[in-house]
Amino acid sequence: MFRKSVLIGTALIFLVSAGSVYAASARDYISIVGSSTVYPFATVVAEQFGKTTSYKTPKIESTGSGGGLKLFCAGVGVEHPDITNASRAIKKSEYDKCQKNGVKEIVEVKIGYDGIVVANSKKTAPMKLTRKDLFLALAKDVPNPKGGETLVPNPYKTWKDVNPSLPNVKIEVLGPPPTSGTRDAFVELAMEGGAKKFDWIKAMKKKDKKAYKAICHTVREDGAYVEAGENDNLIVQKLDANPNALGIFGFSFLDQNTDIIQGSFVDGVQPTFDAIADGQYPVSRPLFFYVKKAHVGVIPGIQEYLNEFTSDKAWGPDGYLSEKGMIPMPDEERAQFQSDVKALKPITMK
Amino acid sequence: MTVDVKTTAGVSGIGQTGRILYDRESRETVGEPFVEGARMTCRGVNVYYGDKHAIKNVALDIGRNEVVAMIGPSGCGKSTFLRCLNRMNDTIDTCRVEGEITLDGMDIYGKEVDVVPLRAQVGMVFQKPNPFPKSIYDNVAYGPRIHGLAQNKVELDEIVETSLRKAGLWEEVKDLMTHPGTGLSGGQQQRLCIARTIAVSPEVILMDEPCSALDPIATSIIEDLIDELKQQFSIAIVTHSMQQASRVSQRTAYFHLGDLIEVGDTAQIFTTPRHQLTQDYITGRFG
Amino acid sequence: MNNPSSQPNGLNPQGRRAIEIVNAGLARRYRKERRFRLYGISAILASLLFLSFLFGSIISKGYSAFQQTFIQLDIFFDPAILSQESLSTANYPGIVKQSLRQMFPEVKSRQDKRMLYRLVSSGASFQIRQMVLDSPEMIGQTLQVWVIADDDIDMLEKGHFDLEAPEGERRIKDIQLAWVDRLKKESRIEKRFNRILFTAGDSREPELAGILGAVAGSFYTLLVTLLLSFPIGIASAVYLEEFATQNRWTDLIEVNINNLAAVPSIVFGLLGLAVFLNFFGLPRSAPLVGGLVLTLMTLPTIIIASRASLQSVPPSIREAALGIGASKMQMVTHHVLPLALPGILTGTIIGMARALGESAPLLMIGMVAFIVDVPGGFTDPSTVLPVQIFLWADSPERAFVERTSAATIVLLAFLIIMNASAVYLRKKFERRW
Repeated sequence: MFRKSVLIGTALIFLVSAGSVYAASARDYISIVGSSTVYPFATVVAEQFGKTTSYKTPKIESTGSGGGLKLFCAGVGVEHPDITNASRAIKKSEYDKCQKNGVKEIVEVKIGYDGIVVANSKKTAPMKLTRKDLFLALAKDVPNPKGGETLVPNPYKTWKDVNPSLPNVKIEVLGPPPTSGTRDAFVELAMEGGAKKFDWIKAMKKKDKKAYKAICHTVREDGAYVEAGENDNLIVQKLDANPNALGIFGFSFLDQNTDIIQGSFVDGVQPTFDAIADGQYPVSRPLFFYVKKAHVGVIPGIQEYLNEFTSDKAWGPDGYLSEKGMIPMPDEERAQFQSDVKALKPITMK
Repeated sequence: MTVDVKTTAGVSGIGQTGRILYDRESRETVGEPFVEGARMTCRGVNVYYGDKHAIKNVALDIGRNEVVAMIGPSGCGKSTFLRCLNRMNDTIDTCRVEGEITLDGMDIYGKEVDVVPLRAQVGMVFQKPNPFPKSIYDNVAYGPRIHGLAQNKVELDEIVETSLRKAGLWEEVKDLMTHPGTGLSGGQQQRLCIARTIAVSPEVILMDEPCSALDPIATSIIEDLIDELKQQFSIAIVTHSMQQASRVSQRTAYFHLGDLIEVGDTAQIFTTPRHQLTQDYITGRFG
Repeated sequence: MNNPSSQPNGLNPQGRRAIEIVNAGLARRYRKERRFRLYGISAILASLLFLSFLFGSIISKGYSAFQQTFIQLDIFFDPAILSQESLSTANYPGIVKQSLRQMFPEVKSRQDKRMLYRLVSSGASFQIRQMVLDSPEMIGQTLQVWVIADDDIDMLEKGHFDLEAPEGERRIKDIQLAWVDRLKKESRIEKRFNRILFTAGDSREPELAGILGAVAGSFYTLLVTLLLSFPIGIASAVYLEEFATQNRWTDLIEVNINNLAAVPSIVFGLLGLAVFLNFFGLPRSAPLVGGLVLTLMTLPTIIIASRASLQSVPPSIREAALGIGASKMQMVTHHVLPLALPGILTGTIIGMARALGESAPLLMIGMVAFIVDVPGGFTDPSTVLPVQIFLWADSPERAFVERTSAATIVLLAFLIIMNASAVYLRKKFERRW
């Protein structure tokens, strides 16, 4: 028995070293990391690509935008990913890190938009909210309701307290935790947008950016905002069970569950496909992916994957990505990015 | 434990009965511990368990073709001493053995001595029957197999058969060779263990209270067997039963609190003990 | 012998007979026992209740995933589309669409046609493609083919849609309902056993998604874990238990092994990322690395179980072997290990079962990923069953809800099989003869 164990052990050591050699020598599939928001769209493209071409299906990891860029910028070589998805544009600091690690040429591809919806159960009437309402209802500290340019801990208990035109129900919002890109986008687009309606807060942005961000981006922690985990399906189920609660998630979940939940109006616009596509709906964000130019031609299939992604049957207005809930870009913008991708035009950041 | 005041006082001298009193200082053994042409000799053996001094300066010989019985109250060190003879105490980390023990003139605690062949020469039978959870055949064949005593299956079969015959078990188990050894009765199991021990042809067999877990009938069978075995082997047996010691042994050694108090012919020890402690023990005043 | 409290004739100092006092207290003693048994039974009942609730909810949600809706189409294998030269890249979706158009000639508008095409899954065209590639002689014929229905139709058939809701808010429109009704009248819709679930890798289309990729990934990962942790675990346990002398170093090692067993599993993932990926440069998302990480995680469990099992081997067996002249190694391999093996196996299988259900440490080494191709080796990118469950649970499509539960059922089945085999092996080998 011991001899056998020794044999197996040796075999495994060989296997490990063989694995090392393998990793250093070749990879015949595209490795993609990044945002969990882009993940449902990228995976559809990857699957389509894998089924209709002779290339292997790309491997897609959902690591979050920041995590993806960190992996992406770690260096050039088969052990590093070829493409990273992001639900926001690359930051200067991340770009610098890429440059430092030898990832010189990065191609940016904007793929479309994602709307962040505030939704409730179909069993009640849709809410007519403004971004200001959302800020006042969900921020940790809000401007003193009695006037003046001071902050008080959020005193509002019901939506009626926030805005007399809203129903008299308890504020109860289920949303993603701080690690989520959806949460980042929500506080940035909805809450910050609402906070800006107060002139003195808006003025702070120039004077004290840190304090400004703290006011706009800090969500209350007294139980009115419930962190429901990253699982958006769970939020949908909870909304169905509790008609008084609101939920925050990506548009694709609303799109798939229109018989259970409805999107609230934000600044008078309901989150529909068209309203997000033409930019009327205020809480929407662009989605991107970034390609390591040095890997194109080394890892088989990257160019073809890009072609698949930027084809009209994928990201066009009638493409299969729109069926999955992604909001396509206007025609000119698509054409622009399509030609940039063809030319593999790298971004520059000074 | 009640011990006569005089004996524990640590005074040397002759008591009223004319017997030598126990003397902690000199540690002299009463009687003759040495024999002519001994198989094993022990000189100045001291055993320590950590700080505890378990065996104190013991000298004793084990002669050829004789049964030496070791008796004494619980905790007197007789089992410890027995286990020194095949270095079973090596398995206890804290145990330290001093002094000289020889087997056929060879110091068994010498640096160059390997315990594996030593234990093949000095076999051991334990208090509780402990057959391996294997077949009867495999139990007996195990020793010859690991030592490579048999060239082939036929020789091995022969060793197994003769060993079982010597152990007086052959007739009972010859048709049950593939049956588990643990399925036998207690007495049979102990005889199986004896067969297992003699299968490697040892020179000395150590028996550590071999009958304490057995009923009287099984005990008497084993005792008869011991009597047979002494034709071929030297046997050292530790026992709690003085009747047993008197029945099976030629010489008897009486241990007390790590000291070897008295050694002598079994008949002499049990009829006319010379030491007060021996007298007290065999007459049942303590133990 | 002179106990002052013991009085003659069984009388205590108060003058009562001892037996009276015993009898007086008897009822209280029995009450206590009854109460304790009641607590025990209610504890068991409570845990059974939770368990049945868990199983009930998973099975009631997941059983429907074992069936899949199929639609029968009259497929005309059009020689105009299927030219011999490029059979593998021909326009198969076109064939499916053509067939649908012929079955519903009244559908004219572009919008309606798109809805019509959405009755069947995008997998249907791959199905047709495979048929043609397998037997090209069918080109030119018209055959009745059962193709996979779209997940929305599947959900409709399984009653997961609220048809009372206004049309604008339903994923299934009235016109589609009418088509489905017509298909049903012609008995062109039926539910069959969902083979895809067991024979396909992951997919973003729920009706095409299967667990085979994840099962294969789990298999390779666990194989690596078993091959490494079993011998290493036994060797460490045997060394520590049988050979090492007790001193401060062995105490330290023992404490650390026990600590490792309690370390959160994500920590092993971080370790794996730092050591296996960054230092040794092993491939990301590979079962090899997953197995190595899970080995680190399971080793303490196996070592602790093995040591406990070795300790329980009676010392008399060791003495018997040593007394006959067996070396320590022979004593261990011939006698102690075989006797300890049932316990070691049980510990190993329980450790393996834990490794099978683990997903957190694999997150760090890239095994939480969308992987379509079924892995064929130790370095292919792959995922594992619990990760697949996690990924599906997070997918927006409604049909993934039941598939999540179905995958959970499969995982539970594997766990039950493993734990049952642990019990079986213990029973089988534990015969102490």
